[in-house]
Amino acid sequence: MIFSAVFLIGFSTLAFEVLLARIFSISQWNHLSFMVIAIALFGFAASGTFLSIFNLRRGDRRPHSVSNLQATTIWVALYTSTTLLAFVAVNNLPLDYFRLPVEPIQSLYVLAAFVVLALPFFFSGGMVAFAYTRMPENTGLIYFATMCGSACGAVFPALLLPFFSEGQLVVVFALTPLLVVPVSFVHLPGIRRAGTRQQSPQIRWTIFCCFIICAALFLVSPYGQRLIEVQPSPYKTLSQVLQFPETRIKQTFNTIRGRTDRVSSPYIRFAPGLSLRYMESLAPQAAIFKDGDNQLVLHPPDVRQSVQFATYTLPYSGYALHPGAQNALVILQNGGSAMACVLAAGIHDITLVAENPVSAEIISRHYGREVVSRPPRSFLSRIGKQFDIIQVENWGTSIPGSAALNQDHLYTSDAFYQYLKHLTPDGLIIVSRRLLLPPADSLRLWAAAYEGLKKTAAKNPANHLAILRNWDTFVLLISKQPLRNTARLKAFATVRNFDMVFLAGMLSDQVNRFNQFDAPYHFIEINRLAAAYREGTENAYFRSYLLDVRPQSDNRPFPGRYLKWSKVKSLYRTLGSRLYALLMSGEIVVMVVFIEALLISGLLLFLPLFFVRRRIQKPSRAQVLYFFGVGAGFMFVELFFIKKYILLFGDPVISFSVVVAGVLIFSSLGGAWAQKKEKSVLKTALFILLGTLLMTYVALDPLVELLLHNAPIWQYTGALLVLGPIGFLMGLPFTIGMRDMLSTAAQRAYAWSANGCASVLASIASAQIALMFGIGFILGCAIVAYGVVMFSWQQMNKT
Amino acid sequence: MKKIILILVGVLLSAFAGYADRVSDGSDIKNARHHMVQTTIKDRGISDPRVLAAMQAVPRHRFVPHNLLTAAYADQPLPIGEGQTISQPYVVALMTEILGLTRNQRVLEIGTGSGYQAAVLAEVVNPVYTIEIKKKLYDRASKTLKLLGYDNVNIRHSDGYFGWPEAAPFDAIMITAAIDHIPPPLLKQLKDGGRLTLPLGNPFSYQNLVLVTKKGDDLIVKQITGVLFVPMTGHALKKPTP
Repeated sequence: MIFSAVFLIGFSTLAFEVLLARIFSISQWNHLSFMVIAIALFGFAASGTFLSIFNLRRGDRRPHSVSNLQATTIWVALYTSTTLLAFVAVNNLPLDYFRLPVEPIQSLYVLAAFVVLALPFFFSGGMVAFAYTRMPENTGLIYFATMCGSACGAVFPALLLPFFSEGQLVVVFALTPLLVVPVSFVHLPGIRRAGTRQQSPQIRWTIFCCFIICAALFLVSPYGQRLIEVQPSPYKTLSQVLQFPETRIKQTFNTIRGRTDRVSSPYIRFAPGLSLRYMESLAPQAAIFKDGDNQLVLHPPDVRQSVQFATYTLPYSGYALHPGAQNALVILQNGGSAMACVLAAGIHDITLVAENPVSAEIISRHYGREVVSRPPRSFLSRIGKQFDIIQVENWGTSIPGSAALNQDHLYTSDAFYQYLKHLTPDGLIIVSRRLLLPPADSLRLWAAAYEGLKKTAAKNPANHLAILRNWDTFVLLISKQPLRNTARLKAFATVRNFDMVFLAGMLSDQVNRFNQFDAPYHFIEINRLAAAYREGTENAYFRSYLLDVRPQSDNRPFPGRYLKWSKVKSLYRTLGSRLYALLMSGEIVVMVVFIEALLISGLLLFLPLFFVRRRIQKPSRAQVLYFFGVGAGFMFVELFFIKKYILLFGDPVISFSVVVAGVLIFSSLGGAWAQKKEKSVLKTALFILLGTLLMTYVALDPLVELLLHNAPIWQYTGALLVLGPIGFLMGLPFTIGMRDMLSTAAQRAYAWSANGCASVLASIASAQIALMFGIGFILGCAIVAYGVVMFSWQQMNKT
Repeated sequence: MKKIILILVGVLLSAFAGYADRVSDGSDIKNARHHMVQTTIKDRGISDPRVLAAMQAVPRHRFVPHNLLTAAYADQPLPIGEGQTISQPYVVALMTEILGLTRNQRVLEIGTGSGYQAAVLAEVVNPVYTIEIKKKLYDRASKTLKLLGYDNVNIRHSDGYFGWPEAAPFDAIMITAAIDHIPPPLLKQLKDGGRLTLPLGNPFSYQNLVLVTKKGDDLIVKQITGVLFVPMTGHALKKPTP
């Protein structure tokens, strides 16, 4: 029964974690979700600390007062009840990240969110740690059951989300571990002796379980629906738009990729980069929203007049420069004005790519055109077609700065290289974004395009680039050949009141004419960067600039991240010396969370040592290091693959599900295999694991590049095949260590705690490492962590 | 027992009195407002005496939710519910000043929000027209403005995109709602020589302003970066270290 319980609890917990990430991405912002979930996961480690203290206090030789069956029922009942409680509490807590600095009670809400969310993880971890401490001889099988269950938990939400809401699924998944309760009741000896004292606690817990089921039924009933309905943050665009009169959500689609809402309203008019020379009113547009934000508008499809405004927008400058364009590739992530441009230009041969299948379906129906629903980079890898125009549209989230942690492969130097390869000889790439001050995005994109052009062996990449702007938007034009007809571009800018920012050979009197800054900041900076590239001193430029504007590559694809730690002080001053303004940067949040995590880890790991009785053997330093290394290594490997495979699968949630399910399944097999093996096998396994990780470090990029050219089925197969041996080998160190290297229940519980702390710390550190040094560096950390495992293993064997 | 009841009543009454003092314009509130005007507005370069007087006159605390009263005069934006914010006082003052208003000018505000900006404008000019599309905000702001006696503020619940054609043309237009383009109908309703301003950026971290001036058929746009940007924008004028 314990095996069933750990399987179901592993299943339920991982499903809850996946759904929690989904829920937070709708109801909050990315970095707040990161903060809350990361800290809540400490519940796992805390359970180890609790059991460790419990076992240390009672001593290991005393008989257990609670049977395995009773204890399992208690853990399961507590897990299920706290999962429901945590979800309902967090979903209805008036937590407002933006009120944090001005409303003291908000700090209490954040703390409450941490605590209630940590509870289910505490009881889930407690159940597993309990199994390890009670049945050390079956460590391999327990590991197998937990990992298998977790792997299923990573996949099932994806399968069921199209049919149920996030809230309903949380309730259903929370109940699944209760399936073991009737089994435990049947197996209890006392059941055959009704009325004896032995059975009464079991009956009490069974009644409690019935009560939980009733509460769950209430939550999924129409009366309780309000408590589990997930609402988008009031600051998100959807919440704002829904306050307009006559504005309705027409349809909502739930998938693992996100919630998509189709909205009709007479008041939506989206036209970033519109010239002030345009004097007509825009026609109302429909819109779709992903996770309550990322608005994508849909123009009236049959009225040509409704898109005429687009000829007065900045991105249209590309079409004006290439009036003979016959075909176009439009990559639509959000926004929707690219569609207006291409329709206004009268181009008929349009290839539309919208990664999200639901959005693709809606766009396809709306415009009556075929829409490719694939990750754009993967799609481009598979086709040989060349385009006259490639327009990429992604404006990011509605609150600037909230996307610093988002991984995006559309604006890397590798992406520009790929776009350039798909251009006809006279072809152009059009990218438009918000204009930031101080210059940031414009510099980074210019540099990324420059790097992409360098890869095509362009003689003077700067001659292929142009930037125009108005007061809040800029457009970057990249041509395959050096730009010609620049007079046409200048005339377009003059007629539309747009300012030139960069064009090879342009003079300073042509800038800052219509949309004036105190000084032409963007012109100055981009020309300084261009000069630095000419002189080969671009690295010095990037080092000295106030923000991190280095071009991003596929290995470090964070186009929304600009923070430089060395310049935090001046950034703080610039933001009016207001701490909360600084906390708008996701990266600062990561660091704050990491510091919090370090403190909590310290507490969880040192606390049991205060309770040690003299006669009880403490866990040795090598033992702690071993399990710490195993936890960190495992998590580093998982996160490395999750981040690497985003390029392949296009979506972080799909990548998460594939990697977590794959790694857990294979490591569960490794754990089961290790059940009957001697501990000596571990040395060889660790050598092979380190070798495989090193090979992965070298060979994964070309392999992902190769997989990008293949059909999705081969992409999934290839991705899982790479995970297979690594996952299998990673299943061994924990299983063998737990079984053969520890002698007491307290040590095992402590090892579980160390493992849990390391996992959480590694997951938070991975976010920071990827931002600062690139994704590859995470695998380097994994190799170091498994090196530490090997070293501590040798130390333990010596003693 | 009687004594205890009397003490309790006394405590309750003084608590109510304290609260009433906070929500009305008591001396503490006036001092806080004076401090705000001196330190966060005047010292940072706002010099128009009418704007300073308006900022001194409008009881900002009446426009913020009760639970944020203590932060009403701090120089920061405050969430006012429904995902909306009341701008930081400095931005309100700066936006009012750069419009260069005189008493009898006609001003249109798009996005009433809490009504605070409309009240500040109403202290400087007459009349003020303000439009709010969100019903809850419109109701709340109408009530507050009426209660405070701002009779020269005309408020309407409708789509600000089309402006207020019956009251046009305007000497100045202020857009305080988040927008991605300046609605063409508003530019049409701006007088020759008129000014239009709007904030850019994230209301919770930093904002700069856009000022559009209409001169005949020409529209000149200026970015007013405000004092917060000095350390950063100043960088653009320095030489890079090799």
